[in-house]
Amino acid sequence: MVAYPPRSYLSLYEGDAGTPPSFNHPFGVEDSGIDVFSETVDSTRNDLYVGLTATLITTLIGVAVGALAGYFKGIVSDVLLGITQVFFVIPVLLLILLFARVFSVLVFKGLGLTLIVLILAFFGWSGIAFIVRGETFKLKEMEFVQAARSLGAGSYRLLFRHIVPNILSPVIVIATLNIAGFILTEVVVSFLGFGDPNTSTWGLLLNEGFPYVRTAWWVSLFPGLAVVFCVLGFNLMGDGLSDALNPRLRE
Amino acid sequence: MTDYQTLSTHDFVNEWAHRLPEKLLEISNLRTYFFTEAGVVKALDGMSLEVNKGQAVGLVGESGSGKSVTAQSVLRIVPRPGRIVDGSIRFEGEELLSKSDDEMRKLRGPKMAIVFQDPTTSLNPVLTVERQLTDILMLHRDLTKEAASKKALSLLEHVGIQEPEKRLKAYPHELSGGMKQRIAIARALSCEPMLLFADEPTTNLDVTIQAQVLELLKQLQKELNMTMVMITHDMGIIADMTERVTVLYAGKVMEVADTSTLFHSPKHPYTEALLKAVPSVKQTRTLEVIPGNIPNLIEPPSGCVFHPRCKYAKDICMRQEPPLEKVEEGHFVACHLWRELKLEGRG
Repeated sequence: MVAYPPRSYLSLYEGDAGTPPSFNHPFGVEDSGIDVFSETVDSTRNDLYVGLTATLITTLIGVAVGALAGYFKGIVSDVLLGITQVFFVIPVLLLILLFARVFSVLVFKGLGLTLIVLILAFFGWSGIAFIVRGETFKLKEMEFVQAARSLGAGSYRLLFRHIVPNILSPVIVIATLNIAGFILTEVVVSFLGFGDPNTSTWGLLLNEGFPYVRTAWWVSLFPGLAVVFCVLGFNLMGDGLSDALNPRLRE
Repeated sequence: MTDYQTLSTHDFVNEWAHRLPEKLLEISNLRTYFFTEAGVVKALDGMSLEVNKGQAVGLVGESGSGKSVTAQSVLRIVPRPGRIVDGSIRFEGEELLSKSDDEMRKLRGPKMAIVFQDPTTSLNPVLTVERQLTDILMLHRDLTKEAASKKALSLLEHVGIQEPEKRLKAYPHELSGGMKQRIAIARALSCEPMLLFADEPTTNLDVTIQAQVLELLKQLQKELNMTMVMITHDMGIIADMTERVTVLYAGKVMEVADTSTLFHSPKHPYTEALLKAVPSVKQTRTLEVIPGNIPNLIEPPSGCVFHPRCKYAKDICMRQEPPLEKVEEGHFVACHLWRELKLEGRG
């Protein structure tokens, strides 16, 4: 038996270079002698890192901005709403590509995949913020909030101890779907060649295999399938969570 | 027996000052308006109320008469777009309307609290009973988590909840309506407030549970020597629970009297109509309804606000707003015709 990764990402199989899927190399071998199965598995770790970290950051930002914008009135709310709207309407992908190229060349050379995560997170929090804002808007008029206020709870206590816990179930569902979204965006960024060239991700594998898709189809097919199943998986999980957390369906 | 002839004037005054009940809450000429897009809704328009320490006072009127807004105004938690525009609310002799938000926040809970109508919506659905009780205790009493939990447990026992340890870990949806209201009462009483507003606390409960909850409130009020303002539209509850009553209509005071006086000799046609709308087991008379609805509070009727629905209304009622006049000591009425009318009371 072999431990993870099944074969080192760096070990080369020069004798098997360019061979289609076989018993020894279930996903085939690249021209350079790299085992596609090993590479795909190794990329899973990096893609999940992108999806989970970006989701964590965007959820924190989105909940904070949305809750404050929904709870307070006047200038605070207007400014936060304005910023959220700007981030919602700008063509995010183009800016991500621009930022990725500019920053990776000029400033944070060593940051690699983390830089991509930060850029994705910076541009990706507005959806959650909108939903949290709307829910906060609705919940702050509810009687239990009034009741907590009538017992001396201040604004921040009301907001973060009484209102936000009530919004967590839709937020968890959307965050789960966002994981898939961020992975997909990272795939696009890497596929277009704007990702970190030193870290293997599914997008990078697709990018590398794309020119040879006619002759060595296995190099791009298997990372592509990995993307499909991963995104499908998180979407189904989000669906399941939305049913499980829906109070109307709970017995 | 005190021999008054041996007392000096000074002693006499002191004696009386001691006997005079202490005023805990004094609302005068309170105006709370809601600034909606359709216009200004005058929810409270010159409302007055006096509550003595340890007293149970009733606030009665139809839906929309301004009962709940009164409680919200005293706690200064009137929801937007509502605002207190004029008047004075004195609590323990201090003006509440000039207090800062932070000073007010510290009064809510330890000094005054409110029990809401519907326990299904007034308890937070995603927090356990324990969290909801300890949150308030830790905020005002500076208790550790363990001490607060202990206190929460004793509160649940106090309000008559079976298996309190188990209920402490429960979420509101796992409890019955009566139990939820008991918990809401426990939460309101957690910091031993001097003044408790009970805003129709039994309206959403089964009849059998209603009696139990009222009994609990009565018992707690006596035990803690608490002042209570009972807000309700149910004259039966008023008769059962209160010593004094204020009848509200369209944000104005119609009549104020001791409960027994109000029931035996009402002076306002609206009070009479409310009393006649109460079903009774003994009497075989038909139940009377008050025709019409509570008026539009954006443009209230001219003169006496009740005149469109009043069967005794005369010309003057349409033209002039009646002042709150003194009938006898402790009995006030806002009606032009109270001297002429022979109104029917109950019992």
